[in-house]
Amino acid sequence: MVLDDLGSSLRGSLDQLRGKSRLDEEDVEDIVKEIQRSLLQADVSVDLVMDLSEDIRQRALDEEPPGGTSARDHVLRIVYEELVDLVGESTDLPLEDQTIMLAGLQGSGKTTTAAKMAWWFSKKGLRPGVIQTDTFRPGAYDQAKQMAERAEVEFYGEPDNDNPVEIAEHGMEELSDVDVLIVDTAGRHALEETLIDELEQIESVVEPDRNLLVLDAAIGQGAKEQADRFDDAVGIDGVTITKLDGTAKGGGALAAVDRTDSSIAFLGTGEEVQDIERFEPDGFISRLLGMGDLKQLTERVERAMEETGQDEDDWDPESMMDGEFTLHDMRKQMEAMNNMGPLSQVMDMIPGLGGGLKDQLPDDAMDVTQERMRDFEVIMDSMTDDELQNPRSISKSQIERIARGSGKEEEQIRELLEQHKMMDRMMDQFSGMGDGDMQRMMKQMGGGGGGGGGLGGMGPFGD
Amino acid sequence: MFDSLKEKLGKFKDDVEEEADEPEPDAEPEDAAVESDGDAADAPAADASEEPDDAGDPEVNPKGDSLTERAKLFASGQAKITEAELEEPLEQLEFALLEGDVEMSVARDIVEQLREELVGTARAQVKTGEIVVEEAIGNAMLDVIDVGGMDFDEEIAAHEMPITIIFTGVNGVGKTTTIAKLGKYLDDRGYDVVLANGDTYRAGANEQLQEHADTLDLKLISHEQGGDPAAVIYDAVEYAEANEVDVVLGDTAGRLHTADDLMAQLEKIDRVVGPDMTIFADEAVAGQDATHRAKQFNDAAEIDGVVLTKADADSQGGAAISIAEVTGKPILFLGTGQGYDDLETFDPEVIVERLTE
Repeated sequence: MVLDDLGSSLRGSLDQLRGKSRLDEEDVEDIVKEIQRSLLQADVSVDLVMDLSEDIRQRALDEEPPGGTSARDHVLRIVYEELVDLVGESTDLPLEDQTIMLAGLQGSGKTTTAAKMAWWFSKKGLRPGVIQTDTFRPGAYDQAKQMAERAEVEFYGEPDNDNPVEIAEHGMEELSDVDVLIVDTAGRHALEETLIDELEQIESVVEPDRNLLVLDAAIGQGAKEQADRFDDAVGIDGVTITKLDGTAKGGGALAAVDRTDSSIAFLGTGEEVQDIERFEPDGFISRLLGMGDLKQLTERVERAMEETGQDEDDWDPESMMDGEFTLHDMRKQMEAMNNMGPLSQVMDMIPGLGGGLKDQLPDDAMDVTQERMRDFEVIMDSMTDDELQNPRSISKSQIERIARGSGKEEEQIRELLEQHKMMDRMMDQFSGMGDGDMQRMMKQMGGGGGGGGGLGGMGPFGD
Repeated sequence: MFDSLKEKLGKFKDDVEEEADEPEPDAEPEDAAVESDGDAADAPAADASEEPDDAGDPEVNPKGDSLTERAKLFASGQAKITEAELEEPLEQLEFALLEGDVEMSVARDIVEQLREELVGTARAQVKTGEIVVEEAIGNAMLDVIDVGGMDFDEEIAAHEMPITIIFTGVNGVGKTTTIAKLGKYLDDRGYDVVLANGDTYRAGANEQLQEHADTLDLKLISHEQGGDPAAVIYDAVEYAEANEVDVVLGDTAGRLHTADDLMAQLEKIDRVVGPDMTIFADEAVAGQDATHRAKQFNDAAEIDGVVLTKADADSQGGAAISIAEVTGKPILFLGTGQGYDDLETFDPEVIVERLTE
């Protein structure tokens, strides 16, 4: 599970500091060891880890915790600051006319990233276009073309030309009227001299404003060499990390930004063109340390809520917490979830929900699959406002009517009502929940609540 | 691949040999004595017989320690390599392994094994070359890479035809390219091969495999994008049976091990097709996550062997060691370039030799 493997041991040693106001050398040593372990397991380069841990050790011992700050918070802040210092803010991408070239290893996800970035720029009101210059990999043209269609952006490529530089030239002319030009290139690695030369030639033709290095989140210590080589060849202005929807942490990117003196631009989080996010240091670092990412979740939730329709003022999320959880609420939640992406992905972003709790939920709770949600929506469309407001009062004859109206089985209507009841109960428990309540809830949900974890500390930094 | 790891291992060897050379005169004798007693109660007898020989031979005693000095050291327990002395080099080795992309728990296993082997051995043994540090490292590594399992060529030769092989792995590791290479490999060895494109998801997947099939003059079975992957491979197996084709190589869409629905689909393919062999492809440049996903794929559709791709990309190679150790399945091939012939048979002994020579 994304958050828990790593986070737990670090969280464990941090928790030992709870209540302490001063740190002795041994405490610091323990923490530094755990941080090293977390970072190394996140594929951060060994040199960087050593440098970082030395700085952290020094500062933790030298600096006095500001008044009223616990030793634990003090250390966390130092760790966090050091890491933020290293990764920096996300790459500056002005919303204006520009050309961006992508480079990277085979299979790192350049073609998908090109389409995603184009989609992202189009959402910002710019007119993007993608040029595909990968003449080597069979099927690259078709893939790029299809992805551009999905992103609904302009596309240029030549399936029968095997000269990437020529294609780039033609593409520049053909797509001269787009605002943002994204140039995709064939995958290559640092040791393929001729391919690196080719990249330099393409670069001299398209004269990009920015070169982005596309890195697979799973890349190991080799990230450093790859970054060095690409930087030497064309200069790297930013890094995009792909496949972050897996379990890899993307720590290789740290070495890449460190070596190229650049920053991280985007994160790829899925196979669809919409699965792209601007880099956010807080979230990324929380993930790196395995400590949850509330901030990013909040943003996702906000964005999803926006898309769900701001115009319906009558929906008050607060009322859910007051115990009145209606079918209206449930529907909004389902829509919002849909907009946020797969449920499991969302769960992973909530600190503590990642491992323990998710596994302990009854299968049913996670089984709100897309299809089922769609069925539920159709059913709800056939309900009256009163029924949506007071689902518990729906009678047998009403169920029959709804079934006829929606063309669904009565069984499904009952399922929906059952689901609502379950969520209602969960909502009740969530509101006004203390640690003890949490324990009880875990027990109720089966699985015996073993192993702790759970919703312990809600904030990225606990407490 | 493996170059930098090799360098690091060389350093560990030097460190240990240095420790063996310099018995830290200021170390607390009691401490050391306790350590060595606890750790190698069986060794003293052997040491005793070793010492005189050693001291008498100036060639193996370059520092020119006198007999009395050495006897003194021996009496205080310093003739043995203690755990405390190994601490530093072993920690360095662990970092070296991590730097080589060996997964953390696997790196620890290797380090532990070395610790057990070296603690309590007599310095003299290291000095005289009776305990060869290289060999100790080699053994520890071989132990984790050489997991036994099948020999690919033999397995193919012995199997009743057609034999169905399915390839799994995350996105972009090079499954399709590997299938093309392996198609050529088998074709070169006189087998009739049919390719099946079970990647009905990714844009351009059909075109990619079709081009490989055309170039290599192999038959490809494919359905439209969005079709049922199990059905495609099933069709290919039927085709193979009807046309006396020897080997079916079935591609699958890349998927992340966290995508539950796609992993379920993989289970389904495994169930419906019932392949004779499942090969997991991952890239040699992968870091700590490699073992994680190998495990997940192995759980969904049990793998029989592993192909490590992009081994030419200045990769550290630690993934190889880690995946083998964690899944207990052998690495069969290394992908070493973009040409069809860039496929190397993986031989654990050769690799370890390369690492420690």
